[in-house]
Order: sequence, then structure tokens, then C-alpha cells
Amino acid sequence: MIGFIIFVTFIGIITIAFSAIIQKKLADSIILFMGVGIGSVVLFFIFKAPDVALTEAVIGAGISSLIFLMALKHLGEKK
Amino acid sequence: MFEFFNQPEIIKIVVIIGSMTLFFVGLFGLLTQKHLIKIFMSVAIMESGLFLLFIGLIYKQNALAPILTDNQQGFINMNDPVPQAMILTAIVIGMAVLALGVSFAIEYHKLTGKTDIDEITSLRN
Amino acid sequence: MNLKRDISTSTFSGFALSASLILTFLNVLLNNIPTNITRVGDQFLKLNGSEGVANAVTTVVVYFRGFDTLGEIAVLFIASLGIGLMLDSNTRCNLKADSNFMLKTASQLLFPIIILFGIYVMVYGHLSPGGGFQGGVIIASGVLLLLISHKEFEVPHSVITLLETFAGISYVLIGLIGLVVLDKFLGNFLPHNISDMGMLLSGGIIPIIYIIVGIKVGSEMSMITQNLIKRSDDV
Repeated sequence: MIGFIIFVTFIGIITIAFSAIIQKKLADSIILFMGVGIGSVVLFFIFKAPDVALTEAVIGAGISSLIFLMALKHLGEKK
Repeated sequence: MFEFFNQPEIIKIVVIIGSMTLFFVGLFGLLTQKHLIKIFMSVAIMESGLFLLFIGLIYKQNALAPILTDNQQGFINMNDPVPQAMILTAIVIGMAVLALGVSFAIEYHKLTGKTDIDEITSLRN
Repeated sequence: MNLKRDISTSTFSGFALSASLILTFLNVLLNNIPTNITRVGDQFLKLNGSEGVANAVTTVVVYFRGFDTLGEIAVLFIASLGIGLMLDSNTRCNLKADSNFMLKTASQLLFPIIILFGIYVMVYGHLSPGGGFQGGVIIASGVLLLLISHKEFEVPHSVITLLETFAGISYVLIGLIGLVVLDKFLGNFLPHNISDMGMLLSGGIIPIIYIIVGIKVGSEMSMITQNLIKRSDDV
């Protein structure tokens, strides 16, 4: 059962990452990049590494995506 | 199908191929995109694929997380704590370097107003 | 799917080279999966019992590989220094829009809870998953919430400087005291009994060092986010 969950999560992460690169608007690709981080947290939890999951949840899916959003505001892109 | 995916060799093959594909997707984005911010985002996706490979290679199905709780007597049958400590350090450093790169991109845009790498030709003659 | 620019021959050859490298790596990995070897992690798990700390990853990060954590703090400091050099100035531009009172009230209610949770994660790092890095970044995200919703809120520069220098100097000082007392840089010179495992005051200097790391990381991340939000506008 666990092996099937790992397989499905990997397929989901790869689809979201590929779709984040192809998007035309910059705001959409930042939100999809946050989805890659969240899927990564789920995989770290399944692999029984709680410290790494907590760090990736706070940094990868939190601060790292917010840094891109603040850069978006300064570049003056149209939403 | 559920029993087919539960064998240890199949899980290892799925982990290696999946994380290497994520790395490859990031590499493709690094080589073909034009916007500066999307290039930084592709580098971050590549790093995320590498972290998944490291933690996935030492996964055993019957082992516990490396924290002692009330039901155990000693540190036996636990996962490996050394790769987890290294990946913890690598995540924090990756975020700091990404913030530095993004600040360079912001400053360059305020100076000249360009973000396409095809138009940044001031060093070319 | 149309590619967004013409791919020159050098790009295409780089693409093919990286693909062949990755396929070679996959082939080597999939054919030689080792089954029974002794790892460094097993030896660390055996030695961990004599330190009296329940979280094995904390012991590896702070005590067995404490010098690498010192190097990582140095890298964070250099990155924060670079961002502060580029984006800081005496004249700052403010966010143009004022937020309504719902956002202001909710963020003022949430801010003490977030700080309390960050301090809890930081202090209990040696007993449950958590530690200095996670707690410090949680505190910085609380400060970021206040920075977004209030127009005139600013973390004073002198407070951040004081916290960072205090944390950085005391890390090296504790290491030097360990060198004097025990002939080992970052040696464990406070009492650490095995019978104390699971208590809050256990493990010698390990929780103290992790709290110092958490203070430094939290203050640096708040400074980075403040510089990114309120940058100067005099160009």
C-alpha cells in the first residue's frame, strides 16, 4: 500500500513541476512551485524523516515561495 | 497492484527514477526559459529533486524514525540520522543563496529595466 | 509545445551530455545496490546513548558534526550581508496601500501565538522533531506577517545587530571553553547523565547551542525579509 502511495505522489510532483515551468504568467508558476514543496513534505513524512519534513515545510513551502512573491512585486509585473 | 509496489526493490527503483526525473525537469527549465526569475525557480526544483533522492535511498520499511519515544528501550532498528542532518543544512543554505540571487535580479531590473536574458547584452560586443 | 527560443548547437549538445550522464548514473545505481555494509550512522546511534539526548538527528547536527553547523552559520551570515549591502538604504519606500482593520486585528491576534509556537519548537529541539533552524524561521514568518499588514512597522536595526553578534560570539566562546576544559573543540563540559533522557534539562550543552543557532537564524531571516519588502527607492 505504501509503495503505491509513493508512486502516485512522485507522478503528481513531476506533473506540477513541469507545469510550473511552462506557464506564461509568473504568478501562476510561483503558486505551482509552492505545490512542489508541499508534495516534498508529504514524501519526507512517508520516508520517516520528521526533522527534514518540518524544515522543508517551513522553508521550502513557506519562506522560499514568499521570496519569489516579493520579487514579483518589485519587478512590476502585471497580475 | 498494491502487493506489486510493496517490494523493496521496486520502491528503490521508483524513488531513483522519480527523483532523477524531477532533476531532469529542472534542468530542462534552466536551459530553455528566458525570464530571470524562472531560471532561479528551475534551480530550486533541481535542488528539491536531489533532497528526495538522498532521503529515499536509505528508506527501510520496518525501521522507525530516529527519535526515542516511551515504548522503546534503546536506539536499535532506527533509520540513519547522518543523511538527515546533512539535508537539513543543505535546505537552509539553498534558501539563503536563492534569496541573494533574487536580490541581484531586482537590483538589475531597477537599474536597466530588463529581465529577459536575450536582451542583457551589455558585455557582448 | 513550442520552445521559446532557438536552441543552438551548444545548448543541444549540453542537453545530450547531461542526459547521457544521468542515464549512466542511473545504471550504476540500479545495478549495485549494497545490502549489508556498516554505516557511520549505526556507530553514531550507538554512541548517542551516552549523551542522554532523545533526538538522534539533533546530536548529529550539534555535537558530532558541530563544526559543519558553524560553517553553515557563516554562509548564512555572508548571504544576509550581501542582501543588506544591495538593498538597504536610509530612505525607504513604504507599501502603497493601507490595509483594512480586519487584516490588522487578525495579524495582531496571531502574532503572539506564532512567536510562542516558534519558541516552543526551538526549546524542545532535543526531545521531539524541531530545533533551532525550524523555530527561528517560524519566528521570522511571524515578523513577516506583521510587516505585510502594518504600514509603519519596522524592526529596529540595532536590536537585530545586538542579537546576531551575541549569538555568533557565544557559539565560538562555548567551543573554546570546551577546548580548554576537555581538550576538544565543542566538547560537552556540562553534566549529561543517561538517566535524565527525556527531561528538559538534559544533554549538557546541546540544547544551549541549538537555542543560540535559533536566535541567529531567526534574526537574520527577519532582516532578509524586511530588506526585500521595504527596499529603497532612490534610484
